[in-house]
Amino acid sequence: MSAIELRAVSKAYDGRAVVDGISVSVERGERVVLLGPSGCGKTTVLRLVAGLEVPDSGAITINGSPVAEGGRNLVEPERRHIGMVFQDLALWPHMTVSQHLEFALRYDIRTDLAHRPARIREALEMVRMADRAQAKPGELSGGQQQRVALARALVANPAVVLMDEPLSSLDLELNRYLRREILRLHAELGFTLVYVTHNREEAADIGSRVIAMRPWQDRPPHI
Amino acid sequence: MERRVTLLVVVVVLVIVGLLPLAAMFGKSIIVDGRLTLGVYEKLFANGRQHWPPIGNSLTLATLTAGCVTLLGVSLGLLLGKTDLPLRRTLAVLLSIPLLFPPYILAVCWFNLLASNGVLVHVIPARTLELLSGWLFGLPGCLWVLVSAFMPVVMILTLFYLHAVNPRLEEAGMLIARWPATLRYVTLPTILPGILFGGILVFLLALGEVGAPMFLRYAVFPVETLTQFSAFYDFGAAAAAASPLLAVTLLVLAFERRYLREKTYRLRPTTPGRRMLLVPLGRWRVPALLAVSLLATAMVVLPLLALVVSSLSPFAYPEAWNKAADSLARSLVFAAVGATLLTVFGFFCGYLIHHRALRLWRAVDTLTLLLFTLPGTLIGVGLIALWNRPATGFLYASAGMVIFAYLAQYTALSSRITLATLGNVPQSLEEAAQMTGAPWLARIAYVVLPAALPGVIAAWLIGFIFCLRDLGASMLVYPAGQDTLPARIYTLMANGAPSLISALCVILVAVTLISLAILGSLLRAVGSHR
Repeated sequence: MSAIELRAVSKAYDGRAVVDGISVSVERGERVVLLGPSGCGKTTVLRLVAGLEVPDSGAITINGSPVAEGGRNLVEPERRHIGMVFQDLALWPHMTVSQHLEFALRYDIRTDLAHRPARIREALEMVRMADRAQAKPGELSGGQQQRVALARALVANPAVVLMDEPLSSLDLELNRYLRREILRLHAELGFTLVYVTHNREEAADIGSRVIAMRPWQDRPPHI
Repeated sequence: MERRVTLLVVVVVLVIVGLLPLAAMFGKSIIVDGRLTLGVYEKLFANGRQHWPPIGNSLTLATLTAGCVTLLGVSLGLLLGKTDLPLRRTLAVLLSIPLLFPPYILAVCWFNLLASNGVLVHVIPARTLELLSGWLFGLPGCLWVLVSAFMPVVMILTLFYLHAVNPRLEEAGMLIARWPATLRYVTLPTILPGILFGGILVFLLALGEVGAPMFLRYAVFPVETLTQFSAFYDFGAAAAAASPLLAVTLLVLAFERRYLREKTYRLRPTTPGRRMLLVPLGRWRVPALLAVSLLATAMVVLPLLALVVSSLSPFAYPEAWNKAADSLARSLVFAAVGATLLTVFGFFCGYLIHHRALRLWRAVDTLTLLLFTLPGTLIGVGLIALWNRPATGFLYASAGMVIFAYLAQYTALSSRITLATLGNVPQSLEEAAQMTGAPWLARIAYVVLPAALPGVIAAWLIGFIFCLRDLGASMLVYPAGQDTLPARIYTLMANGAPSLISALCVILVAVTLISLAILGSLLRAVGSHR
């Protein structure tokens, strides 16, 4: 059974097809990279899997359960148990690092209330941020913010993690360092990773499989 | 589901407090004794000669006010927001003060200045004073008062939209031409939809204004609606009298929807903290400062000073306190409750419009704006038409009617503030919370609201000020013996001593300014905590 499966999924904005009949299957524990230039629809594919966008047609299944079909979401994003790292990281400016993780666990029924503090400590140690638990995002460096976003996505132990160009705003050195961190975390936790980037080196480094996408102007998405 | 239900409840409440009253009022104008009839409208048009002059006066006053306010507001907005003029923040605050109280108070101020026994009696020759006094009671006086009262609308919008202009566009212009040309060909065209929106808003506000024209004896059409209702308690005649005004309002709003809507939205500031480029005034700094200071003196300082001076009689303040302390307390309570509900409803309306969360988002936006631009008296008459029935008598006789009036009239303000604020809150913040499994209300409470807190506080503050200054609707719907301070002042104007009226106006202005100062410092405290 695939971790993620998209069958003939299409999505258009204002009549313009951004994703046109894409079919792809991602196996459990796999690291799949969607590679392509801006506007080719790779972020849209990620958002369709997350449930933040509703496909116009086609079907999406996660761990064998249909989550979207026939132009509507069958399972809302908050019930898909997916971890996601956004391109702009989307850290909540008014919360400290540990509050981010507390919030991420608050609605996760799989984590026992008594185990949450330990789970937060583990996640912070995993991303090496235990000493900055009480800092707010504005007080952190770019690399530290990145690690908080990673910790938030991983703290509830999701089976699937989506990353939308999470390292694109970092300098090359930090980018390479965090790539190694992502690979380490993947090796430790074994989640299924779908990673979006336009950087070939990053794609080759992260992905166990790379899917190249082309802009809609050239032709429909090509795998 | 949770989101849909909450937003639908908000829409239903908006329809109940805003749309149904209007429908009830117009229903009563076409259904008389259970029969469908257009009699009141036929009567209205048959007496055309009697009605055309006030309609003409209303349109003239609204057009001139909108024109003058747009010219003045944009010029001042540019000077205070886009140049290195000294004291520009202080001057911007000073020039915004007239927006804080009902325009009729400005009319009282100018009356105190120019009356035959007024403040200027020893400064200006009697004949000149007589001439100016004559002008005050008529179109020029009404125009001046409304321009002073509504100029801050366009000035503040210009300041706001100037922050939305990408400095890179101006820098690109500066490589080709100097500042005047860059302003003319880059900056102004970019904010033009915002300026036009401000002009339209002022046109509609001036069109619906009752208090100042009534005080200055200038016959405008909204007064006709009020007279029809208050003199004869005739809903049909009031609705018929309001129909030309409603038609003009709908036409103007349709124009705004058609040509400005999306463009105005595109001008929302999206990058907080981005530095704006300032135009160096060079040798024009001092003359410009003098000109703006003179204008601020003429429009704000002088009339307010006249108000304070004319209130300085030994018995004015004690008497004012005796006559209106209860109204003041009620005004503060009503305004606080109204502002809180406005903030909640405005937030959800703004959220609905921003995310286009329901298909009827456009209708909600149009309805709130329509209700904001309609004369308060019309909303008041509508509320009476809908709720003054045996079955709803308990509600009609309660202060809830005043709160309904506030919600109907001012939701547009808090919803627009929320819209502008949400434009600065990345959508990914809520999406990130959604991905953690948080239900919608939790996302709003723990993520969106804290991220939008300054905007939410600003919405409360502006809601509070507008509720506190409201006259049109609350004057008609307050329960017996429970009037608000603006309504009490307006009632006392008929036979109260000028010093008493001035003292009451000073109290209203002072309470508004003190509230503003307290909440302004609260906003700063929130800002410094973030």
